[in-house]
Amino acid sequence: MNEIDEQLREIIPRLRRFAVSLTRNASSADDLVQSCLERALSSWSAKRPEGDLRAWLFAILYRQFLDAHRRSRRYARMLEFFTGRDDSEPSAERTVLAQSTLEAFDQLSTEQRALLLWVSVEGLSYKDVAEILDVPIGTVMSRLSRARQALRQLSDGEITRPSLRRLK
Amino acid sequence: MISMPPNERDLHAYIDHQLGEDDRRLVETFLASNPTVGAQVRAWQQDAQQLRAALGGALQQPANPALDPLRIRQRLKRRSRRHLASAAVLLIAVSIAGLSGWKAREMTLLNAAQPMGDAIQAYRLFAQQGMLPADYKVSEAGDMQGWLDRYFTQANRLPDLSHAGFSPVSGRLLSTEQGPAAMVVYEDRGGNKISFYVRPPGPRNFMLPRGSRTDGELQAEYWSGGGYNYAMVSPSDTQAARMLRQTVNF
Repeated sequence: MNEIDEQLREIIPRLRRFAVSLTRNASSADDLVQSCLERALSSWSAKRPEGDLRAWLFAILYRQFLDAHRRSRRYARMLEFFTGRDDSEPSAERTVLAQSTLEAFDQLSTEQRALLLWVSVEGLSYKDVAEILDVPIGTVMSRLSRARQALRQLSDGEITRPSLRRLK
Repeated sequence: MISMPPNERDLHAYIDHQLGEDDRRLVETFLASNPTVGAQVRAWQQDAQQLRAALGGALQQPANPALDPLRIRQRLKRRSRRHLASAAVLLIAVSIAGLSGWKAREMTLLNAAQPMGDAIQAYRLFAQQGMLPADYKVSEAGDMQGWLDRYFTQANRLPDLSHAGFSPVSGRLLSTEQGPAAMVVYEDRGGNKISFYVRPPGPRNFMLPRGSRTDGELQAEYWSGGGYNYAMVSPSDTQAARMLRQTVNF
């Protein structure tokens, strides 16, 4: 158990970084990491696959984020239906032209941010990423290619999207 | 072995060090003699480097003791002792108000053993603390029923509490593990509040007999009907609470 905890302690900063890149908010990121660790530890013996522990934890965290995100989106749509209006406003910072790679990164879609973080920053293999997303390796490669092009274009300011995606 | 010229996937695999030694050399030779492609690959490599540098700082943030594996284990153990494994979690998706749903989840971790505990929790959160603005406010009498009917078509009618001086003033949609829920807040002239809470019975179709429960300073009257569970929540030992307790059918 101590050995497992040691391994986890090494990965936790990486999980927190990944969670921040998804939620863009430090405290909800830590909530996400906490619930990811709870899930991982309670299903450790049954579910823990062979292979990269990091990739397994990234996969748990990513799915939990998507689930929570979907729930809040559903709620937002429901609210819109009820009140006949949309309360959320696109964040001003998101419409600003990217000044740096990080800002460009922030404007990418959730999956593109995750992909680039896994591959470019964490150095996961395409195979690991394919397993996380449950898609063929070829799909990972073409999505990665699109993500890189999007990042490049945003960094260059080639695309000035007037109204970017809303963060619910 | 990849074929020449390398396609875009091969170039990305090259950037990500996912090519074998021979393929890598082939690509390098190709890039050396194709400056346009070479420049593009270098730009992608630079983006990756800058991203690594920019996100490197995020690894240096001070540790959060709540995330230590030991603490997580202790929490899991405590939780299973309390038989909270199947705790109903009231997930109030409040992203619109700018508050993260995860935060709300933590505030509202509920004990499934208590019928309609989520109704009481919702009363505390919204009626008492007034945490978030209402999703719907009444402007004319009868509006509230129409609002509720749009989502809970088969549900019981909103109880008429006008004889006790209470009328519905605001409604709020919530999202629970059992499905969407709604809370309607009644108020009288003195600003006293009663809430009507409705939600689906959950996957196990857990229907409730007519019952009453006190939780702290609050009292919940609960029942089932029309495929939903209901609760009326109010502060106990008030005139209104006594009136609710004596009501057999809402």
